Amino acid sequence: MYVAAKGGEEAIQQAEKLYHHLNGEVTREQVEAIRDHLPYLVDRVMGEASLYAPDLAALAIAQSGGDLYEAVLLLRAYRSTQPRIAYAAPVTPDELLTVRRISASFKDIPGGQILGPTLDYSHRVLKMDVLDTLNPPTSLQNGHYHEASEETGLTPADRPAPRAYPAVADWQRAQGLMAASPKHESVDPADIPDVTSDTVLFPAPREHRLQALARADTGGVLALGYASMRGYGLIHPTVNELRLGYAEIMAKHPVTGAQFSAGRARVSQAEVVTSDGSKAGLSIGFAATLGWNEVKIIAASTLDLEMNQPEPHPAHTEEFVMYHTEPVESSGFCIHFKLPHYVTFASSVDNIRKVIATFYSSESKLQPERAEAQS
Amino acid sequence: MGWQVARSANPHFFKCVPAKVISMGYTQSEYLSVLTHSPAEAVKALAEAILPELGDIKVIVNRTGLVMLPYTDSALGAVFHLGEVLVSEAHVQIGSGAQGYAVCAGRDLVQALAVALLDAALTTGIETARINAFIDAQARAQAESDDLLLRKVEATRVAMETF
Repeated sequence: MYVAAKGGEEAIQQAEKLYHHLNGEVTREQVEAIRDHLPYLVDRVMGEASLYAPDLAALAIAQSGGDLYEAVLLLRAYRSTQPRIAYAAPVTPDELLTVRRISASFKDIPGGQILGPTLDYSHRVLKMDVLDTLNPPTSLQNGHYHEASEETGLTPADRPAPRAYPAVADWQRAQGLMAASPKHESVDPADIPDVTSDTVLFPAPREHRLQALARADTGGVLALGYASMRGYGLIHPTVNELRLGYAEIMAKHPVTGAQFSAGRARVSQAEVVTSDGSKAGLSIGFAATLGWNEVKIIAASTLDLEMNQPEPHPAHTEEFVMYHTEPVESSGFCIHFKLPHYVTFASSVDNIRKVIATFYSSESKLQPERAEAQS
Repeated sequence: MGWQVARSANPHFFKCVPAKVISMGYTQSEYLSVLTHSPAEAVKALAEAILPELGDIKVIVNRTGLVMLPYTDSALGAVFHLGEVLVSEAHVQIGSGAQGYAVCAGRDLVQALAVALLDAALTTGIETARINAFIDAQARAQAESDDLLLRKVEATRVAMETF
């Protein structure tokens, strides 16, 4: 039972001041430094908040002292104050300005493998000399790369990489390794099912499932996806294709109808495949998110495949996954337990006291042995 | 209503339908894409400079808001909502009666206002040479920026070997 708590106003104000005092002052420079130097953290918060706004995500991280659930909550709260003014044109993966594209299923994929920005094959060693020197900054403004003033040691190739690549899955379909992709009619974006406004029912439409995974908690999907990978699931995933890139946000001019790019957003997507040994060939799972977050999309696309199984593990059913990986609901429910529960707890204590008085007090006629014998 | 987006010969641009050439070889789709990707302070300075030529300005809309970004599932073809993007929007009318419009990623209302004013100016033929010179320079800089990024990306191309 919840009751309104009263009093303690002065203490609450002092508590907030102490919180800010211990976290230090939030400055514009600090926010810009977070945005420019912690892009994967900013991406993670934007992905889970389901709002692409690098400046505000950096502010939320700074304002919350790096408490990511608090930062996601701040961004979602801000989002709720803004009107949705338009739907962009749907992005298709072959339009992404792609900077990373790899496959673990085939080494020779059409278009080749591009490692892009990654530490996949690097030593993970602390660079202690950084503590004594300053590194040259690099940044992306409006999605465009700006070279740092100092040399980064990176040697560009003579020719540019392709901007976009064909899908590995299409190549596999052409070889008969995978079922043909279902035909989809073009859709008005305003008619796409939306978990932020629709009631979610199960089985959920695929649009709800993929949107829920896109805004899911990274740690949540990793925990459930890792459980599948360790053997609690029914599939063995192989990363068919993983892409990081920039999506153009295509808006429409209200007077002329001309479509134009309002900017770019970092996005990532993954496909995983598995084979059940049947004639159907490879089964495919998919996930994508705002920002670059490889752990999340690999785990989420694994869960997409698990949820497609006829009888998945209970922790891999659609309802279980979608309900338990929602970051604001799950973290909010978790931390609500620290708020006053005086009435419910008092009720529990009353019951304990009654049991003690009934069975254990010296005056009690009902001793535990007799009570057990009676039961 | 489906969206049709195809690439033009210039790889920097998304050539959008309908694509009508308005200004010195740029379609409205192309020049708006260049202006929204340009440094905000430079666009504001240009709009400020041509402001006296625009006559009475009526701001129809100038606000922040959200644009939902749909994404295509490459596994089963569903189009779903990836998430929203914070944008600033401006819709203006200048003295000639021409209207200008802009949506820019981010929350810089003045940037959106500046792009919308430049759109209105180009639509009605005001300061066309000056604005086009700016667009030319920015388009070149943006193309060079993308080219440099993609050459650095190409340097990470890997030929996997199995043993």
